[in-house]
Amino acid sequence: MGTLITVIRYEILTAMRDRLPRTLMIVFLGMIAASSIIGWLTNQTVTAVYNQVLADGLTTAANPFSGVSPLRYMSNTVIYMILIGALLASVAGVQASLRDRKMNTADLILSRPVSTVGFLAGKLLGQGTWLAGVLLVSAVTNWISISVITGSVLDPTGGAKILLFYGIGWVFLMGFVSLGMVSGLRSTTEATALLIPILIWAVLVFVVPQLGTAAHPVSLLNPVAAPPSQGGFFQLMNNFLGPLAVGEHFKTASSFLLDTGQTASIASLSFAVIVIFALVAAAVLLATPRNTVRSALHE
Amino acid sequence: MSTIAIAARGLSRSYGTSNALKGLDLTVDQGEVFGLLGHNGAGKTTTVMLLTTLLEPTAGTATVAGFDVRSDPRSVRTKIGYLPENVRLYDNMTMLENLKFFGRLSGVVGLDTRISETLEFLEFTGHENKRLSTFSKGMRQRVGIAQAILHRPSVLFLDEPTSGLDPQGVKTLRETIVRMNTDLGMTIFMNTHLLSEVTKTCTSIGVLRNGELVYQAPLADTLATFPGEDSLEQVYLTIGSETH
Repeated sequence: MGTLITVIRYEILTAMRDRLPRTLMIVFLGMIAASSIIGWLTNQTVTAVYNQVLADGLTTAANPFSGVSPLRYMSNTVIYMILIGALLASVAGVQASLRDRKMNTADLILSRPVSTVGFLAGKLLGQGTWLAGVLLVSAVTNWISISVITGSVLDPTGGAKILLFYGIGWVFLMGFVSLGMVSGLRSTTEATALLIPILIWAVLVFVVPQLGTAAHPVSLLNPVAAPPSQGGFFQLMNNFLGPLAVGEHFKTASSFLLDTGQTASIASLSFAVIVIFALVAAAVLLATPRNTVRSALHE
Repeated sequence: MSTIAIAARGLSRSYGTSNALKGLDLTVDQGEVFGLLGHNGAGKTTTVMLLTTLLEPTAGTATVAGFDVRSDPRSVRTKIGYLPENVRLYDNMTMLENLKFFGRLSGVVGLDTRISETLEFLEFTGHENKRLSTFSKGMRQRVGIAQAILHRPSVLFLDEPTSGLDPQGVKTLRETIVRMNTDLGMTIFMNTHLLSEVTKTCTSIGVLRNGELVYQAPLADTLATFPGEDSLEQVYLTIGSETH
């Protein structure tokens, strides 16, 4: 336990000092802060148009934003998690592994009474703690900005839903941290180590959903999951590849938590897929052989 | 109480079809400074990696500080210190942070006091809160030595410890190696291809050639057997180069 805590503490310290993940973190937090403002501006714009149309007597329908959950203001956050958050997590994971290979420190650590699994688990949990801190700041940012925009403090249920959203977001991102760490351990060069998890991310977030839904790539940037195709090749592909579309599953789970449409029964499958994705990626990481952890970069 | 610090019997290691180490038989007594000589690729680093449990042997076995490297590697690791060649440590951490990290991994009790004692022993105080990215090669090597001896190991492994150091750095490190042996009572196992290092620090030597130990004897016996100023160099070149 002492070893695990030591590695966790060290990982947090170095993650905070690493320039590349730190830059991505600042971008991520900036986008999170902006997401509520963007949601609010969208509301204001649509409401202004609606009021004009209403005044002109062209509609009798209710304002589309009336009665909508205030959590809708953070719907853009979902897509930022899938795009910037997953990249941040992958880069942080790659850097965590590369650091020891660049500095030749793995031999120093593994020549001590430290198990390979304990060492890697400590690094993963350290990265996870750092990431949890980033997401906690994001959650507080969302809570404050929604409270300011709506002019009233967000109720405890809303606050709990934000925390649950970031909780499943943490699990989702930890899958990418693990993938990044595996790539950092197994790649022969730093460039390859960074490119491989980005390639996997692109496949999981864009290619797999396209094969199952025939969706246009741009539509996959929508925070609402694309519906599966009915019939033919795309439905067949969706049956096989659907579970791999973790980005779409994160959208579905988020949609349920942020009151934007999905039912619990549909979302529960997505929650399960995200958890399994993170567990499988962590298992692959922890199964890394000792000699691979010790291997040097070919640069 | 055994007086043998390191004993290898038939120790071998292959990488695919290449035999890096072929049936090494070696004994190093407690309190010795043992220098393992050999050309590049002779098997020196592989030997150290097997003895530090970083690699598993493909055949044979070895004990270090009384523990078997195959059956009880964890106990071996509690008794050894190791400084690999060209280690850089963590650039973005201070010297103190580096030492605390490695000290905690080794389970050192009273770590702050131990770090102070170690840095005073190495005559390397005053740099504790500087990041390693500002350190010279020689300074990094001293931090490397500090992390290797923080937990007061009974056997210390050094892989090409003077590699890349300037003459003053080499001299300081040689003196440190001797003091770690005499003052701290550590058995030291050192890989090198520099004869000057061996003659000034070691009490016994071995010569590896193509993965086989072709010579082992106390330094004094070697010098007596082959008298003359350049004798050791001649011995090394004769033994080490026969089939090189």
